[in-house]
Amino acid sequence: MTSAVAIVLSVMVLTVWLASIAFFRLPTPFQRIHVITFVNIVGGALAMLAAFLGDGVSSRSLKCTFIWLATLPIGALLSHVTGRALHVREGERR
Amino acid sequence: MTDPWLIAALALWPPLVLTAIAAARTTVRYRLVAVQMATSLTIIMLIVLSFAFDQASSIDLALTVALLTLPGTLLLALFEERWL
Repeated sequence: MTSAVAIVLSVMVLTVWLASIAFFRLPTPFQRIHVITFVNIVGGALAMLAAFLGDGVSSRSLKCTFIWLATLPIGALLSHVTGRALHVREGERR
Repeated sequence: MTDPWLIAALALWPPLVLTAIAAARTTVRYRLVAVQMATSLTIIMLIVLSFAFDQASSIDLALTVALLTLPGTLLLALFEERWL
């Protein structure tokens, strides 16, 4: 089980590194929002999977599931709010 | 069991530090996005640290950050939209 946890964690770390590189490579803040969604969904899912592999069904792994499920709508809402704020700031929408 | 979690926590530090620096030092239009990215990485980091140090109760920190992200970023977005 430890090797499965290690594999899932290494994929998660690679995902986060890939997202961070993409975050700094993408030129506009609107494009960078896509990277945040990627981290929220894929990184959070892999962290949750590793939690279940490491802990089994426990209160901690269930809290990880709740965190991931809460992050999905909150991240979507905040991405919309951020994009709107940037549009308003640049004078494209009033 | 603790070792892979600790290594993962150490490997997650550079992206978190880089995005935190980006949130502090880039132009205003990039900062809000960088704050969001840093918050997402912080949540993952706190989950991993909870397992790395084998403190089951510290998962509540990650849960708190995940829930407080909503009002915090909404407030920042409002400031960026109107006053900054």
